[in-house]
Amino acid sequence: MPAGIKIEDLSFSYTPGNRILKSVSLEINPGEKFGIIGPSGSGKSTLLLHLNGVLKGETGRVDIGNITVTAKNLPEVRKLVGLVFQNPDDQLFNPTVEEDVAFGPLNFGLPETEVRERVAEALAMMNLSGFEKLTSHHLSAGERKRVALATVLSMKPEVLAFDEPFSNLDPSMVMQLMEIMGSLESTQVIVSQSVLPVIALCKRMAILKDGEIVAVGETRKLAKDHSLMKASGLDLSLYRNICHTL
Amino acid sequence: MKHSFIDKYSHLDSPVHRLDPRVKIITSLTAIVIITTEPLSGRLLHLLLYSAVTVAVTVLSRVPAAYLAGRMLIVSPFILMAALLYPVSVIATREVSFIPNFPALAETGVSVFLKASLAVLILILLTTTDKFHRLLLALRRLKVPAIVTTISALLYRYIFLIADEMLRTGRARESRTPGVLRTGRLKVYGNQVAVIFLRSWERSQLIYKSMLSRGFTGEFPDMQKMNLKGKDIVLSLLFIALLLAVKFFI
Repeated sequence: MPAGIKIEDLSFSYTPGNRILKSVSLEINPGEKFGIIGPSGSGKSTLLLHLNGVLKGETGRVDIGNITVTAKNLPEVRKLVGLVFQNPDDQLFNPTVEEDVAFGPLNFGLPETEVRERVAEALAMMNLSGFEKLTSHHLSAGERKRVALATVLSMKPEVLAFDEPFSNLDPSMVMQLMEIMGSLESTQVIVSQSVLPVIALCKRMAILKDGEIVAVGETRKLAKDHSLMKASGLDLSLYRNICHTL
Repeated sequence: MKHSFIDKYSHLDSPVHRLDPRVKIITSLTAIVIITTEPLSGRLLHLLLYSAVTVAVTVLSRVPAAYLAGRMLIVSPFILMAALLYPVSVIATREVSFIPNFPALAETGVSVFLKASLAVLILILLTTTDKFHRLLLALRRLKVPAIVTTISALLYRYIFLIADEMLRTGRARESRTPGVLRTGRLKVYGNQVAVIFLRSWERSQLIYKSMLSRGFTGEFPDMQKMNLKGKDIVLSLLFIALLLAVKFFI
């Protein structure tokens, strides 16, 4: 069973006096696909960066399974939590696809034969076998997104944290990515402004606004609460009207 | 957006391409030292012979001459400037009564031109006949400090993205500039550069976070294999021996 996540009373600011996260508390069950939605600037990406200790809260704590994230156990935490960044160009910094996918497992000290196996496996999962020797900047945006996901899958993390996974993707790519995400057994945290894929993928979600959790609950139930969605800056009436028209 | 890459002909198959990149780097640097340490006068024949050997290797590499010439053209203004200014500087540093020997000065100018051009051609051949990442790996194996290879790798990876951002901000500027820029031209270009700098800085922060997320501790790991063959060493020694023969026996 993959690890669950427990966030308690987490607060964070980049600059003094400007709180980005305000006493955030959340519990995500092992193996659950959990969505965090909210308008731009609500602190979603910042929250995600706390899951593997890239950022450290001023108050509160984050537990991944039985481990509390602290400076001392970062290597262990980063083996457990794989973070997929919004822009693949921020994630693909090695000269070749193979080196990028091998980067995590090699850093964790795995033997070379196992690293090669993991690279092949992760690329096959993303339908990218044969891309090993290519350079990332030769690839299309969709391919780069899949490589970025492969770089994390090769680490076999128990928790996958996605930052805006559906941004800049065409509808067929969104469908493809949703299928891949749906097939993975790890615990998943999906941070997105694209509400519809989150509704389709996740049974539960939280709404974050101005650094605060304003609601947690069943995805469809929350999405149907028009006044809540509107007050949270996530008015879905446009989609509803389009669906009616179609 | 599509860019041309410095290693776009690295996929060709030739004896030069097949050389181990470590051997290629050492051979190139040795050749550059041999050529550039020639005196500037009385060695024109030697420089012409070096040119013949280097051109022979270039032909062997099968890299299109037009491509090499195009890349040489980029640095040619600097080479020409050095070749023209060197004789002038010799005259300028002498007494007023000094009577210059113009043919000898012209020879030094030609020597500077040939030496610099050959050095540049050798470096272009080096970077054209192997994948850039393999050259970086070879440098790592040759114990070049990791910070140098890491910076080079990141530069190669991201320079195209910065070029894209420049293109995008340039288009945004042009699309809002019907006709001539009415506001201060320098100020607008300055702002554009500042925006690109800030975006690059932000991106570097994100990249570093992504590296940390995958267990980065300061060292780039690698698992590539390189096989040094006896044939590579023989070919390299042959090239160097030819240059040394020109240097010491002609």
